[in-house]
Amino acid sequence: MPAIRHSSAIVRLRGALLATLAVALASASLAPSSIARGDKGSSTGALIYANKCASCHGANGAGTDDYPDPLIGDKSVLELTSLIDQTMPEGEPEQCVGPDAEAVAKYIYDEFYSEFAQVRRAPPELEFSRLTVRQYEQSVADLVGSFTGGGKRDADRGLAAEYFNSKRHDRRKRTIERRDATVDFDWQKANPADTGEEPSDEEKKKAEEEKKKDDDEKKKKKKDGAKEFSVVWTGSLLAPETGDYEIVLYTDNAVKFWLNESDKPVVDGWVRSGKDIQHRVSMRLLGGRSYPVRLEFSSSDDDDIAKIRVAWKPPHHVEETIPERALTPHWSPEVLVVATPFPPDDRSSGYEKGTAVTKEWEDAVAFAAMEVSRYVVDELPRLANVKSDDGEREKKLREFCVRWVETAFRRPLTDEEKHLYIERQFKEGENLDASVHRCVLLSLLSPRFLYREAKQGPMDDYAVASWLSYALWDSIPDRQLREAAAKGQLQNRDQVYAQAERMLDDERTRAKLRVFLHQWLNVDRMHDLKKDGEVYPGFDERLVSDLRTSLDLYLEEFAWGDAPDFRRLFLDDEVYLNERLAEFYGKTISPGTSARDGFVSVSFEEEGRAGVLAHPFLLAGFAYDKATSPIHRGVFIARNVLGRRLKPPPIAVSPLAPDLHAELTTRERTILQTDIAACKTCHAMINPLGFPLEQFDAVGRFRKEEKSKPIDAEGLYVTRDGETAKFDGAKAMAEFLAQSPETHESFVEQTYQYFVKQPPLALGKESFDESVRRFGENGYNVRKLIADAATTSALRARELSQTENK
Amino acid sequence: MPAYVDRRSFLKTLGLSAAMYPFLCNLPSLGMESSTGRKKRLVVMFSPNGIVKKNFWPDEAGELKAFKEILSPLEPYRDRTLTLHGVCDKIRGDGDNHMRGIGCLLTGVELYPGNIQGGSHTPAGWASGISIDQELKNFLQANPATKTRFGSLEFGVSVPDRADTWTRMSYSGANKPIAPIDDPYQMFQKLYGNVKDQATLRSVLDDLQEDLAKVKSVVSTEDRRLLEEHAGFVRAMEQELQSATEGAAVAHATPELEPGIREENDNIPKLAKMQIDLMVSSFQADFARVASLQITNSVGGARMTWVGVDEGHHALSHEPNSNEDAQKKLVKINKWYCEQLAYLVKRLDETPEPGGPGSLLDNTLIVWTNELGEGNSHTLDDIPFVLVGGGLDYKMGRALKYKDVPHNRLLLSIAHGFGHEMKTFGNPDYCGDGPLSDLV
Repeated sequence: MPAIRHSSAIVRLRGALLATLAVALASASLAPSSIARGDKGSSTGALIYANKCASCHGANGAGTDDYPDPLIGDKSVLELTSLIDQTMPEGEPEQCVGPDAEAVAKYIYDEFYSEFAQVRRAPPELEFSRLTVRQYEQSVADLVGSFTGGGKRDADRGLAAEYFNSKRHDRRKRTIERRDATVDFDWQKANPADTGEEPSDEEKKKAEEEKKKDDDEKKKKKKDGAKEFSVVWTGSLLAPETGDYEIVLYTDNAVKFWLNESDKPVVDGWVRSGKDIQHRVSMRLLGGRSYPVRLEFSSSDDDDIAKIRVAWKPPHHVEETIPERALTPHWSPEVLVVATPFPPDDRSSGYEKGTAVTKEWEDAVAFAAMEVSRYVVDELPRLANVKSDDGEREKKLREFCVRWVETAFRRPLTDEEKHLYIERQFKEGENLDASVHRCVLLSLLSPRFLYREAKQGPMDDYAVASWLSYALWDSIPDRQLREAAAKGQLQNRDQVYAQAERMLDDERTRAKLRVFLHQWLNVDRMHDLKKDGEVYPGFDERLVSDLRTSLDLYLEEFAWGDAPDFRRLFLDDEVYLNERLAEFYGKTISPGTSARDGFVSVSFEEEGRAGVLAHPFLLAGFAYDKATSPIHRGVFIARNVLGRRLKPPPIAVSPLAPDLHAELTTRERTILQTDIAACKTCHAMINPLGFPLEQFDAVGRFRKEEKSKPIDAEGLYVTRDGETAKFDGAKAMAEFLAQSPETHESFVEQTYQYFVKQPPLALGKESFDESVRRFGENGYNVRKLIADAATTSALRARELSQTENK
Repeated sequence: MPAYVDRRSFLKTLGLSAAMYPFLCNLPSLGMESSTGRKKRLVVMFSPNGIVKKNFWPDEAGELKAFKEILSPLEPYRDRTLTLHGVCDKIRGDGDNHMRGIGCLLTGVELYPGNIQGGSHTPAGWASGISIDQELKNFLQANPATKTRFGSLEFGVSVPDRADTWTRMSYSGANKPIAPIDDPYQMFQKLYGNVKDQATLRSVLDDLQEDLAKVKSVVSTEDRRLLEEHAGFVRAMEQELQSATEGAAVAHATPELEPGIREENDNIPKLAKMQIDLMVSSFQADFARVASLQITNSVGGARMTWVGVDEGHHALSHEPNSNEDAQKKLVKINKWYCEQLAYLVKRLDETPEPGGPGSLLDNTLIVWTNELGEGNSHTLDDIPFVLVGGGLDYKMGRALKYKDVPHNRLLLSIAHGFGHEMKTFGNPDYCGDGPLSDLV
């Protein structure tokens, strides 16, 4: 099985269309053809089109049943002219050549083919939308979380540990307090809690009494077992991604384990039963959040030995001991993770959007509302801080409900809303819990919670606050943001930008950026990466899991370290390696190097490896199981990096099997396969963008030759303004991409799409151009770009909403 | 397979109508069992610490002519009762007799070595196999004709809030004890929570439509379409909820629980009654064909002040047979347990079988049992097995006396009664001659 089949590589990234639109507009002055309408060629062109083309391509290039693909693309008039001259009409290209071909090309280009024509025909507007699934999950978690307070956040990692010299957690016998990086211990028959320190006289006396008792018991049993001691670990678990996590406890002793629930352990293994015990538990967690953890361990002399290891299997990874970076010694409040499954959002534009509602979605909303409201009622004493016998219970619960609904709706309630959502739900003589239940349920079903503010009339400061928080967090505003809105402190750019900057330093922004980078790099589609075991022995599940970790460690350091300069993504020549990866990729980690969970950053400069495009995970992802795929690599660079729009292949072609052309290199085979006119129109761009990465094989290892022929890593790219850039090898290409305005604009475009979830051109070309310009001025700082996109879009949307309603 | 921690697991299903399916398919008119014969149910009721032999066992084998004091509450149902004397729990290995008594009672298999130290013997962990109630649940759930919403329900009364070998009777597999639900309100939530929540949902839909209309008025004409679609789905939901609630109402009414009964010793009689009532209504709705009722736990120490006994049950059970006072009290205690059984029998007898002839009792076999034969000797011989009801067509109204028969054979017989013809159950060494032949 190839890692990625051809069919999946041609999944239409329609987001790229919009990306290209903006980029094309941004560089309009450099476009090789006049975009003025009504130019002479058009009338002739229109006539020719109607006579010779429309029967297949349909009026305005919309397509027909025979040829449904609309005539939309990013070729220049010259390219179109030559294409028509040589190939159109199909089968009779001689019917339309020379000036005729040029005239019809111009007509097509101006009327409907080009991005400019597309924009003219359908000027994008801001979209009215509901919360996406991710936004719903985050909003509900933060809504409940707004009543529980937050945990401590700092750089401390590992778990807080307390060791007791008794099999129960007797505070008087606590001998050690420390931090454990991981929980992975095999004490055999030793007692780690026996520090040999002198206890106080009183303790000594007690200890002697107990020892006597213990000795008596031991005499009775005469068993050479483990020592009696116990440990309690506390802190939080950091979930890097949203998904199902499996936690596995390996022990021969008694354990209890709490995760994101304080009232009941998720594993109760206090009864040890049998040996080599595994306790497994699965739980869905939201990425970028901390979950409270508590682990109690007890070894008794009934046990043979004392040992424990705590492992996990995070999404897309193999099982491993929970690493230090995923643990903190600080408590965090419980997070409500909605269990109701939602149907996935529409991603046909390249990013999730909430612009459609379906019955399945509405059912999920209803179920989730029932789930959450039931949770709130069950947890009411804790969330509302009202005891069941409180004399002012009703008053306090009404206040709780007002706060709940206002937080959910991201704004204060009007009197009318208060009447509907609060007063009407508190019925005379009814159990107060039932009233709260109804109020919470109704608020979660309400369009005021479920729909975003855009297009709901003129935007005020509350709407700006909500725009910001959804852009940066995919969630509701926090207290500070709500207060700023209440005080009218979101009026000007400086005020809004200051909030955005503050909000960058938050786990939710980190989580959102991570998902964005994964989508940008197509990592979210590279599951189940496998290679042929004979060709690439050692490239197993575990190695793939480590590679993914390596990439994520890099992205984390890049985005949140000292220098989030976008160009580094192309130029950095270091890769995080652990021992296993180092061995596979022919590196040595010098002993004593300080490692992070076993990973150190290692230079690959001498290979000419540069940037995240040459990270082995991506190189392996954009490759077949036995051979590389310059096409996959090239398509990725053309679309996601340069923002080019590529159509699906016009004809179905299965890749040529390498063994049929045993003598050919991959490069030669790729050229042979795409040496057809219909292919060349796109592959002339794709192939030469993929070839420079031929220096790396299908598992991302450096190579100098293939089939005993030296690697030819020459490539080129014809920019939108017609200049040809040539590069030899991955590093030269990376240097070109890092400085290319096309790359920068495309990245800004995709940042807008993913974070703001609105068509950027709907906000106006000028404001988008400003963002692109500031990106450069800010040294291509990705963090500043995100804050800028959130701020600029919020202010622009407010402006538009006000003019619209005048 | 990892356990999926999800207290909201009933939501793990798509579509309102799908979630309400259990109610609809439990409608008698839609029941599927008519074509496949009558329903068969099993109830296991547990009480702890052994019994007082002389006041329990009928003197003679053969027709049940009279009950001793402890079994006297069953008098109205004497002809529907079968006592089995001489059935012995032969499972040995790790753990003390109380632990093995409850842990091997329904599993018929040894406990794993572990860290739970009892009063004597070696420490032990959990049972190393599935219990018969869960085996039968799996058997019935595997067949669409006998599949029910829950398959089995594990009721408890005053079970201590700790998971150890003494508090668990049912096992879904080796090392997989099942915690009985001893809070009637929690059980109610499990059985009827979604009905209540759906009623609440229905009650807010008018208000929701009102506000949807208001929000619609502020958005543009084209954006209104989205909200109109949304409103359409809300209307559809309202209709689905309406037909589902009506359907459920036809099936049977949701029982009412007396509110605010705390889980404490003196409330045990009330809690037991609530749980029995819930069990009967869950059978009426055909939520499950297998149920257990675990009153306290092995070594349970209920103080039955309501029958005039102030001491804890377990402490009393250690008193020698020569302690007349203790014996009298133990008879009172065990008679009270039997009264609970009799109440369950009465409720099942009074309740007609939905859609079929006869009563629920006609199609239910109740097995009342205990972890010990006798409290002071801690014997695992002569485990008290009292069977009531017509579920498996046993010939009732008899006292059977066996000579030292391993209880695995009784477990096997029950499985065969359900048509689940296993060769062995639990430790095969004790299944020698197969099911007991003289029950039918």
